[in-house]
Amino acid sequence: MSFHTSCFLFIFLVAQFHTRVSCDVVDLNVLNVGDSPAAVHAAVFKPALGWSSSLSLLLSSFPEDLEISEYCSDLLHIFGQRYVSYVNCLVPAARPVKVCQNCFSSYGSLIDIYRNISDEVGPGNVSCSISLLHSDRLMVVYLLYHNLEDLWTKSGCEHCVTEGFLALTNDTLYFMTILNQTHSCFEKYHQGNHSELCTNCKDTYRQLNELFSRMEKNLTLCIDIEDAINSTRKMWSKTFNCSLPREETVPVIAVSSFMLFLPIIFYLSSFLHSEQKKRKLIHPKRAKSYTSLMNIQDKQN
Amino acid sequence: MANITKKVSWSSRPDESGAIGEGTPLLNGSEQQRHGRQLISMYVFISYLAKYALPDSDDVCLLFFFNCNYFKFQSLDYDNIENQLFLEEERRMSHMSFRCLEISRWVVCGLIGFLTGLIACFIDIVVEQLAGIKYQVVKENIEKFTEVGGLSISLLLWAALNSAIVMLGAIIVAFFEPIAAGSGIPQIKCYLNGVKIPRVVRLKTLVVKVCGVICSVVGGLAVGKEGPMIHSGAVVAAGVSQGRSTSLKRDFKIFEYFRRDTEKRDFVSAGAAAGVSAAFGAPVGGVLFSLEEGASFWNQMLTWRIFFASMISTFTLNFFLSIYHNNPGDLSNPGLINFGRFQTDSEAYYLYEIPLFIAMGAIGKFKNFFFFLHTKSYLRGLLGALFNILNYWLTIFRIRYVHRPCLQVMEAMLVAAVTATVSFTMIYFSNDCQPLSPDNTEEYPLQLFCADGEYNAMATAFFNTPERSVRSLFHNQPGSYNPLTLGLFTLTYFFLACWTYGLAVSAGVFIPSLLIGAAWGRLFGILLAIWAVPGKYALIGAAAQLGGIVRMTLSLTVIVVEATGNVTYGLPIMLVLMTAKIVGDYFVEGLYDIHIKLQSVPFLHWEAPATSHWLTAREVMSSPVTCLNRIEKVGTIVDTLSNTSTNHNGFPVVVQPARLCGLILRSQLIVLLKHKVFVELARSRLTHRKLQLKDFRDAYPRFPPIQSIHVSQDERECMMDLTEFMNPTPYTVPQETSLPRVFKLFRALGLRHLVVVDDENNVIGLVTRKDLARYHMGKHGLEELQLAQT
Repeated sequence: MSFHTSCFLFIFLVAQFHTRVSCDVVDLNVLNVGDSPAAVHAAVFKPALGWSSSLSLLLSSFPEDLEISEYCSDLLHIFGQRYVSYVNCLVPAARPVKVCQNCFSSYGSLIDIYRNISDEVGPGNVSCSISLLHSDRLMVVYLLYHNLEDLWTKSGCEHCVTEGFLALTNDTLYFMTILNQTHSCFEKYHQGNHSELCTNCKDTYRQLNELFSRMEKNLTLCIDIEDAINSTRKMWSKTFNCSLPREETVPVIAVSSFMLFLPIIFYLSSFLHSEQKKRKLIHPKRAKSYTSLMNIQDKQN
Repeated sequence: MANITKKVSWSSRPDESGAIGEGTPLLNGSEQQRHGRQLISMYVFISYLAKYALPDSDDVCLLFFFNCNYFKFQSLDYDNIENQLFLEEERRMSHMSFRCLEISRWVVCGLIGFLTGLIACFIDIVVEQLAGIKYQVVKENIEKFTEVGGLSISLLLWAALNSAIVMLGAIIVAFFEPIAAGSGIPQIKCYLNGVKIPRVVRLKTLVVKVCGVICSVVGGLAVGKEGPMIHSGAVVAAGVSQGRSTSLKRDFKIFEYFRRDTEKRDFVSAGAAAGVSAAFGAPVGGVLFSLEEGASFWNQMLTWRIFFASMISTFTLNFFLSIYHNNPGDLSNPGLINFGRFQTDSEAYYLYEIPLFIAMGAIGKFKNFFFFLHTKSYLRGLLGALFNILNYWLTIFRIRYVHRPCLQVMEAMLVAAVTATVSFTMIYFSNDCQPLSPDNTEEYPLQLFCADGEYNAMATAFFNTPERSVRSLFHNQPGSYNPLTLGLFTLTYFFLACWTYGLAVSAGVFIPSLLIGAAWGRLFGILLAIWAVPGKYALIGAAAQLGGIVRMTLSLTVIVVEATGNVTYGLPIMLVLMTAKIVGDYFVEGLYDIHIKLQSVPFLHWEAPATSHWLTAREVMSSPVTCLNRIEKVGTIVDTLSNTSTNHNGFPVVVQPARLCGLILRSQLIVLLKHKVFVELARSRLTHRKLQLKDFRDAYPRFPPIQSIHVSQDERECMMDLTEFMNPTPYTVPQETSLPRVFKLFRALGLRHLVVVDDENNVIGLVTRKDLARYHMGKHGLEELQLAQT
């Protein structure tokens, strides 16, 4: 990230020596820097393309706005630091998932700085949002931030964190307490007979499940909770084998075979009790019915 | 000669006919008495056909038994009666009023579409709500008892709930309106063919149909709500186009011009199309359905109007459902059944390119692909045929033994209970557990003995409305069903659906066949695992199964393509439908045709039976004909009409001795008698209002029976002049005309009566629809069906 940013700045620094806006700039870019300005290069040659419009705007106003302001570069620096710290927090929290519980505060500070970059106007009425966010095709800062924003939305963490990223919600904390209770219960009994565990931990486990389904209904779930309940359920069902056994096979079979027997009785009885009727042929009015039959046979032969 | 013609043996032994078939039990006439038709006794159509279809057939001809009277069916009058009244009225009409007529046709079509859409919307919402409540209750119960034990109680609860709901639906159908049973497609097919089935397009039928279908779907039967939509659409059309309701005794005094069979039929075909379009979100499919199944009289303007009605109906449904789902304007629910979008169309296309690419190297592989598709549809065609044969036997059994309404209700309840039982047992013993995931759309996931956080996969197929099951079969990710689950599901559902169709509940066969096919197809896709997108196989399988059962081709292809919203599937779907039809036709007819035949409807197919050219009109016609004189005595007319043994509907009008000069219908005569249009009265009362076409229209379509018209002894001596009212130019044929020629006239012109005349234009016979429908192509060449009376 930092490499990209510095390259970006470097172009501007170099370009500062030139007073004219011309194709020279492009040449210079190509000469001076490695891979990253290739986009700029392309942009200048294809100014008609939509995505390059902001950039060409920048280039055309070269003499004045070439350098990004002190203020903006400071912001950028802080953004970088907070970004790194958030990512540093995320990675270790990946498994088992604790991204919400552990990292909400660093995400909060990241949001703060990004807001500063995108909205506010600093000293000298310089808007950093254009110079930092929308000045090139790649839009590194914007892209980086949005990746993390996506991650945040996907994780659903906002359901577990209070307004302003100050703390976890009470629901979440309560859930975590119950979860810990359950786990400590598992811990206690997991030696030896599992059926003991199943009976003893059933209450807290059920409490946990009920809480979960309540939260599910209220849409106050985040990935931490989902993951915790998933692994707990897996432990409960698979590791400790506490799922409900299939015990009532006999009564179910009895009842269903009784039900299946009913239609047989029904059909048999209606078959046996049906009434019989005599019937006779109707003779439709036909011209020379018999002769016509003869005719048919004549024609056949 | 190649064609061996057999007359059914009994016809040559009339003296023995009384003793025939004593050993075969028959239904009694209770049904008929219920309708107060004691006057006409039961008739039974005897056919040779069933001989090879029924396993227990002995050497004697088999009988078809009907719970409705063969003579109950009348033809519709599609031929315009160009009598003097008609000509006068036409002369009086200005250019402007013809314009208005054209506009009002469009208005009527729009209304038909709108109302059909609304009905579909109503059915959909009510079914969803009620089924939601039911499944919620059962689910909670199951969850409770899984833990504490006593699951057999949940089983009983489920079965009882199902039976109770189905009982409601069956009672209204069996006791109030038996014609509303089944999907209604055969009936509409007959109506469009020109057979007037009593009470088929009444308001009462519509109400019973809608309530019945809600009950049967909510009751968990293996049925769908799509077929009945077509019937509902047709009833709406028949009602709206008349501008009045005879049942409600309201006359809005509009659309009076449309009060005759010709106009009404056009609207009914629009209604059927609107029904299809609302059911599947397939407007073009709807139009083609009307074309394929029904109307033989098409012109470009009519097609365009029908298309308009279809579009309006799917739009209406879409719009109101979007309001119901709280996002008005989101028009993504075009039909009752929504196949969902097959999003991976790029993959699908890729799929067909694979064999093409391989074909470049090895043509064998390419063939393999199509061979593969064909084997599948082959199987499907076989399955479809098996379904039809089983259902055919079952229907015959039902007609013979389960004909009393209370028995029918009981049967429906039993089927509902057994459906619940079987589903429950399947779910109970299933070991197929799948993890719940957020993109999983299961509405009522059942856990039962699965690990926490998982659900029972069998329950997604059984513990759901059939529409949802179809959708999850199409769209759930690969791996959400294991092959054993699918196999068991297909097998049980096949028999359940087969058992269910033909019960006295109003319900369609589209969805169950789609469901069976989808499960089959998915199973096939999984087992072969070639392209690893089982959803597509489910789709192809569903189309093939449906094609195998109902044997529609063009319209079904378009319906499926439209319902999936993916044109790229057109080719494979067409291929499987073609194969399914060919294979299926080899064994047995389509389900609808079977049911039409079992109801002994004189249905005219597209073509006359093959090898019938040697039959002439003289052999086909009924003779002698009851004719009326141009100026006839009222007494004679009343006597002729009152004769219950003949019950004729059309009478050639002759001048002495027998020269044809016109044709008059029973309905016209009744109106004339009612208004007492007698020559003597007209003379005495100078101010007597002249009878107009309006008087005939007001009586349409329920003309009073002759018994209700009182004619005094004096009046019997009066004379009646029929000149003004008869159709002076009826269609006639010489007696040497061949059967296919006569047939063509009937089919193309929608005739009801065709007069057979000799060289001097003397009436010698009359051909009606029933005379033609007797002949059919059997195993031994051309065969003639006989009628029997019980």
